[in-house]
Amino acid sequence: MEIISNLALGFGVALSPFNLLMCLIGVILGTLIGVLPGVGPVATIAMLLPITFNLNPIAALIMLAGIYYGAQYGGSTTAILVNLPGESSSVVTCLDGYQMARRGRAGPALATAALGSFFAGCVATLIVAMFAPPLAEVALKFGPSEYFSLMVLGLVAAVVLAHGSLIKAICMVLLGLMLGLVGTDVNSGVLRFAFGISELADGIGFVTVAMGMFGLAEIIANLEHKGAREVFTGKVKHLWPTRDDFKRIWAPILRGTFLGSALGILPGGGALLASFGAYTLEKKVSKNSAEFGKGAIEGVAAPEAANNAGAQTSFIPLLTLGIPSNAVMALMIGAMMIQGIAPGPQVMTERPQLFWGMIASMWIGNLMLVVLNLPLIGMWIKLLTVPYRILYPSILVFMCIGVFSLSNNPFDCLLMAAFGLLGYVCVKLECEPAPMILGFILGPLMEENLRRAMLLSRGDPLVFFQKPISASFLIVSIILLVIIALPNIRKRREEVFVEET
Amino acid sequence: MQAWLAAGRRLAALAVLAAAALPAFGQAWPAKPVRVVVPYPPGGPVDISARLLAPRLQATLGQPFLVENKPGAGGNIGADFVAKSAPDGYTIGMGAIATHAINPALMASVPYDPIRDFRHLALVVQVPNVLVMNTELPVRSVAELVAYAKARPGKLDFASGSTGSTGHLAGELFKQMTGTFMVHIPYKGAPPAVADLLAGRVHLMFDNLASALPNVRAGKLRALAVTTLKRSASLPELPTLDESGLKGFDMTTWWGLMGPAGMSADVVQRLSAEILAAMDAPEVRERLRAMGMEGSAVRTPEQFTAFVDAERRLYAKLVKQSGAKPD
Repeated sequence: MEIISNLALGFGVALSPFNLLMCLIGVILGTLIGVLPGVGPVATIAMLLPITFNLNPIAALIMLAGIYYGAQYGGSTTAILVNLPGESSSVVTCLDGYQMARRGRAGPALATAALGSFFAGCVATLIVAMFAPPLAEVALKFGPSEYFSLMVLGLVAAVVLAHGSLIKAICMVLLGLMLGLVGTDVNSGVLRFAFGISELADGIGFVTVAMGMFGLAEIIANLEHKGAREVFTGKVKHLWPTRDDFKRIWAPILRGTFLGSALGILPGGGALLASFGAYTLEKKVSKNSAEFGKGAIEGVAAPEAANNAGAQTSFIPLLTLGIPSNAVMALMIGAMMIQGIAPGPQVMTERPQLFWGMIASMWIGNLMLVVLNLPLIGMWIKLLTVPYRILYPSILVFMCIGVFSLSNNPFDCLLMAAFGLLGYVCVKLECEPAPMILGFILGPLMEENLRRAMLLSRGDPLVFFQKPISASFLIVSIILLVIIALPNIRKRREEVFVEET
Repeated sequence: MQAWLAAGRRLAALAVLAAAALPAFGQAWPAKPVRVVVPYPPGGPVDISARLLAPRLQATLGQPFLVENKPGAGGNIGADFVAKSAPDGYTIGMGAIATHAINPALMASVPYDPIRDFRHLALVVQVPNVLVMNTELPVRSVAELVAYAKARPGKLDFASGSTGSTGHLAGELFKQMTGTFMVHIPYKGAPPAVADLLAGRVHLMFDNLASALPNVRAGKLRALAVTTLKRSASLPELPTLDESGLKGFDMTTWWGLMGPAGMSADVVQRLSAEILAAMDAPEVRERLRAMGMEGSAVRTPEQFTAFVDAERRLYAKLVKQSGAKPD
């Protein structure tokens, strides 16, 4: 068994005391910056890059990778406790995680997030170890037309995601799509909707929008209730999920892990879809789908598992093709290049110690994270007992620091404030921000891939149906649309019938 | 005695005044940390070379050199920030072919003048672009590619990292010089373009050497030629486009350190010398070379300014010819 000898080599490297220490430092740092709203792994890794020059490459990469998946763990903590998604992946965790916290179940929500992430991390690490090269070939099968059809499916799912009125959800998706149009057009280089503001030339930042729409809007809405803000902690019964909770989460975690691992392989925005996709899937298949959006534990378990699995498998295109799937992976490429390692197909054969050492360290890092995070849950919950008049200004300060650090530009803080106001208006109108965020993420990707696919096919739209992968995504989307439409049609017909009699 | 003392005091006061008026004079500079603005997100080659140089400069000049990323608008936000900061030697930044040669030609308006608003300190890196193809195409040389493309007008696609990038302009220039017609497919950055090139959805690309090298060495992409007049030290067996029949074809991607116009000559001299010394340090040189980056023959601030000016003129012409201008 080659895989066993490879893994033995990897664990031999990763278990050396120094590498273990670097892994620990990485995951602790990652957890910390994940918990601080807005301060993301990109800024942190960039600051630490010079320190890694003097480390050996394996130790450096182990630490940087630790920061990355540590931040994924930490990010869900603020999403659950204060409705602040620091990373695109934790937006979905806000939906039910925060509601659970409001009902005094922050403990089980945090524990579910940690356990789900751990399980997903283990499985995904194994997948990376066993199938990295063939899966990289699968990733290459995804071209513009496949991505476009996948995004269509994602958007249709966005409508399913909402739990209020269908019309409002569609409007929010459209609003998101329109916001996504801001910036430089990829094909012609023309500036769109930038109004002469050069900060808008690269479009609006995702973190800025998410922090404004979720975190800031929530704070404004809370301040409305003068002095009578709900104290979650008064109702905290237990920190640990109950037996019934465990029964409810194991299947969602499995499904989330599978979906997340699959989508994480796609470098063109697959990982973004992982948590959204897992949530939508759960909402459709769960017995408790009515509870979604009001604090369903499945709604935390599935997306958390999915985003962690996706975070691990997104190392596949990086390590085997040298293609980064997000800003953190691009930084990892930088970190490798500075060490004189060119990320690409030869890493596995020329540097087996590095390749397998990193994979083994991911599993060890996940174990460290779960050991680190479970005892911390009690402490995080105590954080909620801090009086709100002290808590919210400090959250605001951290949010501003975080958003500023994205591109060291104060403009982003102002933009976040504007989105906070928009978010508050949406709260008042009972419009869900999640479909808007998904539209905002997917819109630009969809447009880019649609136009690229059309360029490559020289204007033939049939290309979306000629490629089997693309065609199957489109067919599933159509089926989903029919499912959404059917009950409404039936209801309307019943209404008409009632009027006639 | 009294007069002596008074004169001495006056002299001392004058000296203090002079020092205050010229804080960057002689020993006084650098008296506080120096900010190095990188107009791109962290992790890219420009950022990495800045972060490689910063610790060296800190060691020789005795003050921290802090790298700060100010990305946005194709690098214009960061470049504009440097142009508009105080010329006291405490804010310098990376200027690149995009911010100082292509964008001014490509974009409707750029908030700075690439020559007048800057003091060009030292050209740090020049990277050749390399013409790479998908290996399934039955083409092994530039001459074969030209023949292949001529037989199939409009059938070949070439990818690039963005509209108006060096890769795009190199492709347009290639089309003009060879009389071929290929379709430009722009991407958001080079990595997704390379992915489609590896998968064979697009046929060729003028990628920068640093990013193409691993796949070329692994045999996943076929390199045909470099875009510079001189062969690259990283792939010495690879011919240049100029050797392959496209006489005079010469394009490099470059970036270097610049400060705002009006910096004192002493600081400019000192910074420029220390940057070049840091570049020449064997350890830095080796790391840059591993990434396919090479130092340059441009060695003085004056040569650098002349170089930027020549590049600006060249790309103004190329952009016009290519029809890449958006409006």
